[in-house]
Amino acid sequence: MIAQAAAETSPGTMLVLVLLSAALTDNILLTRFLGMCPFLSISRQLRSAFGMGLAVIFVTTGTCVLNYLLYVYLLRPLAAYGVPAESLKLILFIVVIAGFVQLMEMLIERISMKLYFSLGIFLPLITVNCAILGASLFMVNHVASKGFGLVQVLLYGFGTGLGWFVAIMLMAGIRHRLKNARIPPALEGAGITLIITGIMAMAFVIFQGMIKI
Amino acid sequence: MTFLLPILLASLAACGLTTALAAVLLVAERYLVNYGPCRIDVNAGDRELEVAGGETLLASLKGAGVFLPSACGGRGTCAYCKVKVLEGGGPVAPTELPLLTEEEVAANVRISCQVKVRNDLRIEIPEQLLSVRQYRGVVERIRDLTHDIKELRIRLTEPERMDFVAGQYVQLEAPAYGDNPEPVYRAYSMSSVPSEDGVVELIIRLVPGGICTTWVFTILQEDDEVTFSGPYGDFRLSESDRAMVWIAGGSGMAPFWSMVRHMKEKGIARPVRYFFGAVRRKDLFFVDELRALEAELEWFTYVPALSGETDHDPWAGERGLITEVVDRHVENGAELEAYLCGSPGMIDAAAKVLHAKGITEERTYYDKFG
Amino acid sequence: MKQTPEEQRILQRMAPGVLCRAGFLGDDPRPLQEILDTDRAAVEAAGTTHEALARCLREAYEAAAMAFGADVPVAGGRLRATWHEAMGFLPSPFGGGVRFPKGEVELVDPEAGRTLRYTPLSIHLIAERGFYQGRGGRYRLEPAEVARLFRLDRGGD
Repeated sequence: MIAQAAAETSPGTMLVLVLLSAALTDNILLTRFLGMCPFLSISRQLRSAFGMGLAVIFVTTGTCVLNYLLYVYLLRPLAAYGVPAESLKLILFIVVIAGFVQLMEMLIERISMKLYFSLGIFLPLITVNCAILGASLFMVNHVASKGFGLVQVLLYGFGTGLGWFVAIMLMAGIRHRLKNARIPPALEGAGITLIITGIMAMAFVIFQGMIKI
Repeated sequence: MTFLLPILLASLAACGLTTALAAVLLVAERYLVNYGPCRIDVNAGDRELEVAGGETLLASLKGAGVFLPSACGGRGTCAYCKVKVLEGGGPVAPTELPLLTEEEVAANVRISCQVKVRNDLRIEIPEQLLSVRQYRGVVERIRDLTHDIKELRIRLTEPERMDFVAGQYVQLEAPAYGDNPEPVYRAYSMSSVPSEDGVVELIIRLVPGGICTTWVFTILQEDDEVTFSGPYGDFRLSESDRAMVWIAGGSGMAPFWSMVRHMKEKGIARPVRYFFGAVRRKDLFFVDELRALEAELEWFTYVPALSGETDHDPWAGERGLITEVVDRHVENGAELEAYLCGSPGMIDAAAKVLHAKGITEERTYYDKFG
Repeated sequence: MKQTPEEQRILQRMAPGVLCRAGFLGDDPRPLQEILDTDRAAVEAAGTTHEALARCLREAYEAAAMAFGADVPVAGGRLRATWHEAMGFLPSPFGGGVRFPKGEVELVDPEAGRTLRYTPLSIHLIAERGFYQGRGGRYRLEPAEVARLFRLDRGGD
């Protein structure tokens, strides 16, 4: 239904759909199962989950844009000379992500200590988070197949981060409620969290097919 | 040859990008992390310090010659380095909150080893901390006083003298050793008399698992160099003429050993009854010296008390817990002053007994080592 | 498994040489969460609670602390406790701003020939966190043994 509507939409609605699909139907964590590690451990506390989620939104948006520019203005032209852009992009994206995170940490600490304490301290934790790299790699696919431009990439990155944020906030909220529940000792911690993640992922399956970009 | 070009270009691209990023980061570090010189105003203009920004407040103050007490050496665990930051401290860090009470946070009290100096600051510290300095010395003698108590005699080398009042303490630095990766600092009262120039003596009791005392007992040797800061503390003889009750146990002897000899030198003839509690005969030390002082000085009475097993000891002195002994010997506390030095538990128990005898809270003195 | 910055700080504070010489984890290779889980299971298997064990340990400590180094009978005379005092305070590795006097309690069961050692801080850690410290540490307590010592493991109070 929405897929048909998407086929005949104006560019503006298209952009909104890019954002929504990145956040919901193509949720990097619940649909694509990337970024599980910090998700499982940091969802223990609501405050940390919030900070972590914000940090992820921040970094996915920034690195998607940077990696897009890298891909379009360096790697693709180089492919004309026989340089395999596809294999290089993996290592170069990681380097860009690492540099970006480091730079952002310094910037944030300088600009606002308050912001640093709430989200800055999580930045080193997500440098090698596979969700960040995954976002950039999926972004490249979309660029290649659907001709995403800079604005779409920006929204895609933001939407991906937003989806991760929504997932971890939901999980943190659920775990908070679980504090007084009687959970079999063998399942406490990672066990029950993974089960809940599975159930959440199943719930998100309803979004599948709704938005086809 | 055609396969070389892609390899060359790929390497160039990869190296170029990495170099560019590294350059950006270096430039960023130069400008973002460089805070430039910052002014610290101490006690409303009493002292103005200029320090290089970017370090913790504790470290910056230390570099500028102001030594705040610290046991953990700046790792945010001991909460000894509290300071009032009136301006410029930024938001309270998550590492500080667990160490501060709500009232303290409201009063702008901060943990100085967790506050980063990024701009000008106005702080307030207790007046006497401004005369604290760092000292280096050489261990002249290590003497065993009992099986678990040692006396350290340190000759000051840099600077060569320290002015202190009998009863004050220093913070001794135990350097990194063995499993202990970083220096820590521990407070020890000085047992030497202030008049003895260039010398500081400490009485140290071995604590099982203690970082500093283990270093003193197993690694430190005569002729080794030691570092400490001081003098700290408000524990000292009062200005009055009142008779005094002194109570100590174990290494709590130190300030009193300094005080009694100081009083003898200066002819301060205030009546003193000195109660020293131990478990067994072998836990007592300086017994002969204190008995000699008792014989020589009419105002000084020494009352050692043993609380442990009695069978094999030819002990004619007091028996029982120190608190019981004090209870027996002190009648009317109305005009007495009490000086207590020992573990927190002993101080609490002794203070209770004394207050029951009429010694007021204001006339009860003890050292709060933080 | 990744940890929140807070958890990392707690683990750092438990390392040797930070708060005390030996640290709180002994030479136990298990992660902290596993130590907590295993000990909790042991306490449940013994039919008692962290609070009950901590209460007995605290009573022994308070009785011994009044004697300043002489040993006293506790637990109805079956055990003897000695308080070895020390100067200074220790904070909890979990934070919280509370500090505990340094020193250790030596609890001896003359019949069984067993000696346990613990500190005011370890009593707090057991009561508030169910943390009995890592194996191999000086102040490690086995929940089952403490329960047996204080006769708590027969479901009594």
